[in-house]
Amino acid sequence: MSKKWIILSLLVMASMMLGACATPAVQAPVEEEAAEEAPAAEEPAEEAAPEEAEEPAAEEDTIDIGFISAFTGVFSSFGKMQKEGAELALDEYGYEVAGKPINVIYEDDQLDNEQAVTKAKKLVEQDNVDVLTGLVSGDEGLTVGDYMKDKGIPVVPMYSASEDMTMREFFPMVMRATWTGAQAQDAFGYYLADELGYKKLYQIGEDYSFPWNESGGLIRGFCRGGGEEVRSVWFPPGSTSDFSSMIASIPLDEDFDAVYYNGAGGDAVNFVKQFVELGMVDKIPLLGQSNTFEKPDLDALPTDIVGSLSAHHTTDDLSNPNWVDFSTRFNEKYGYDPSGASAFAYTSMKMILEAIEALDGDVSDKEALIQAMLEVDMSDDPRGPIVMDPEWHAVIENVYIREVALADDGSMYNKGTITVKDVSQFGPYDPDLYMAQPPDGNSYPSGICAELPPEMLEGGGYEYVEFSE
Amino acid sequence: MKSLDARTWKVIFAAALVVLLILLPFFASQYTVTTFIRIIYFGFLSLSTGFLIGQGGMVSLAQAAFFGIAGYALGLIGHERGVPFLLADILAIGVVLFFGAVFGLIANKAKGIVFLMITLAFGQVVFAFALQNTTFLGGWAGIRGIRPPILFGIDFKQTANFYWAVLMIYFVGLFVLWRIAKSPFGLMLNGTRESSERMDALGYPTYWIKVIAFLIAAVYAGIGGLIATYNTGVITPTTMQLPRMIWILLMVILGGASYFWGPVIGTIVVVWLDVLISQVTERYNLVIGIIFVLTVLFSPTGILGYLDNMRRRNKIPILNKFNNRKIQQEKESS
Repeated sequence: MSKKWIILSLLVMASMMLGACATPAVQAPVEEEAAEEAPAAEEPAEEAAPEEAEEPAAEEDTIDIGFISAFTGVFSSFGKMQKEGAELALDEYGYEVAGKPINVIYEDDQLDNEQAVTKAKKLVEQDNVDVLTGLVSGDEGLTVGDYMKDKGIPVVPMYSASEDMTMREFFPMVMRATWTGAQAQDAFGYYLADELGYKKLYQIGEDYSFPWNESGGLIRGFCRGGGEEVRSVWFPPGSTSDFSSMIASIPLDEDFDAVYYNGAGGDAVNFVKQFVELGMVDKIPLLGQSNTFEKPDLDALPTDIVGSLSAHHTTDDLSNPNWVDFSTRFNEKYGYDPSGASAFAYTSMKMILEAIEALDGDVSDKEALIQAMLEVDMSDDPRGPIVMDPEWHAVIENVYIREVALADDGSMYNKGTITVKDVSQFGPYDPDLYMAQPPDGNSYPSGICAELPPEMLEGGGYEYVEFSE
Repeated sequence: MKSLDARTWKVIFAAALVVLLILLPFFASQYTVTTFIRIIYFGFLSLSTGFLIGQGGMVSLAQAAFFGIAGYALGLIGHERGVPFLLADILAIGVVLFFGAVFGLIANKAKGIVFLMITLAFGQVVFAFALQNTTFLGGWAGIRGIRPPILFGIDFKQTANFYWAVLMIYFVGLFVLWRIAKSPFGLMLNGTRESSERMDALGYPTYWIKVIAFLIAAVYAGIGGLIATYNTGVITPTTMQLPRMIWILLMVILGGASYFWGPVIGTIVVVWLDVLISQVTERYNLVIGIIFVLTVLFSPTGILGYLDNMRRRNKIPILNKFNNRKIQQEKESS
């Protein structure tokens, strides 16, 4: 009796398997075409159309924006800052563009790359998002980008700064209105060597891709400006809260001009506190990477570090009307000043919304959406005029060199000292030359300036103007 | 209806389930299929953990490390060295077996809480090594760009094809593990779980029984890791972190650790809870945690334990269709 049933069920299974094997052959061509959408520049419009047709008008009513960030876990502050910045831009439009409601779907990935891909899949497959944005870390950006490459959906990374996303692993659907890790640091490094006359830097950095990229930019700029050496010590992020041995082994007798701390978040707070406690601030200047002295972490640091320099694309005392407007509205809504991450999220979301508006709400053609994003006028951006590079979909923007300063109420803020105008992600280099170099790592570029390829030492510097805005 | 016995019911139920699962890509959304792929690879991992707990009484926290080791081995051998499909995967399983042997030979010298701590240490060592090694494991970023192969003209990059492939692997894996659990070896393992002293006295090599069980579990975790790596295209240290391992333990206990099917049910429930609740609230871990605490409070033997208990007390009559052994016994005795 039961054997009969087993045989029957096996037969059913076998027939299903045959059916299963047969179907992909039918499905395959359609999906393969979809996969080719991204590289082919002209055809996708027609190919995308039939797919859209299957899901009728209901799809057209709302525009869905997928937003992946870290809302829980160690890096949740970044997710919060990004969400707040983006919401401010959405408020401006009242969550409606060209008569179509904007629906933002927030997904938490805890800054775990596996989760990031899983959430990206969910947003693409289940929610059929029209744009994917968010993204905090560089690795997260590259991983999600790797998955999104053949999906034909615009990806707008916000704080994710891995330069390869808009360089060596570029694909036409990526559009980054923010920064790369090396972008501000190249200008900073050149400034340190050329203007301040520094010759040797001692770097203590977190051992992963974002600090590597910051370090790469710094070393290139520093060496080009006439520096001699950047000696680096790397430690795994989050691996220790005791930096005393690392600080004690800074060779004060070897004429290093400054210590460059290349890290952020809890590690930076611990490091800087101990740097001060061990009395090092009086012996050697402290420099930070872009995020080291960013708010709100800055509030947790001792005031002894006043005067420390860093470089970023925003600074807390920008006074142009767009920043004041943005900052005031932000403060009204949330009760504190915006950070760089919020400003970047605001810019990115606003670019998306303006592009949708330019298309009159018709986002079915993603190529056109990307084109519209490129054409968005961002000369009035809060952090200064921004121009999109049409070839690499990255930005050319201001870099601000800031020093930590004390406000009247005793709190610290980043005070702009120098403005560097129109800095590209390639620095002063030719894109081909830049990308011919290996990606930045913890052993490349070499910290000995004489070991850099000679052509990387050419290209000169920038125009450094007194910060005024 | 009376003529159908419990076994027949089981077969009908299983066949219907299998047919539904195979037909899934035809009627369910693509994301549902993706979620089932996730269930399958985490299913392998929870099956591996559950097998050790349920059959051998060994609570191992190193299983996620085997999951990750397989992924890293695939990334290094298959993706970076260009070794073709299947050979790369077999080599990756070989690497897992190697580590499984090293860890298993050491860890099985101990049992109980000491075994748990040693496996925890192994798991953390592997995690920390992957996190800190930037020369060939890529540090925090891991290894990216791993793709499923194209075989016999079938592109396994497509969700449906990939799903059918891994579903088949899962069925085979379940069947093989089921046979192992019910084989003389499985009984020896059960005996070791109940009383290793008595098994020793009877002349069974309990140490080797446990080592072999550990190796089998490592291979299952490794297969899950291979599927996961092909699916996401990336392998990172976070795959092996402790929260992941605890999540898997939660699945196993929620489903019913002492039941063969417990990890399977647990994985399905927890992955779907994760998917559904995270759409509603950012505090999804809290909700899953509360569900877990409630489950453990009211049914320490998990979901299957609860159902089994209900069946024995004849509370839910339909369950008797699957297994009426106990009730028959009670009738006979009364």
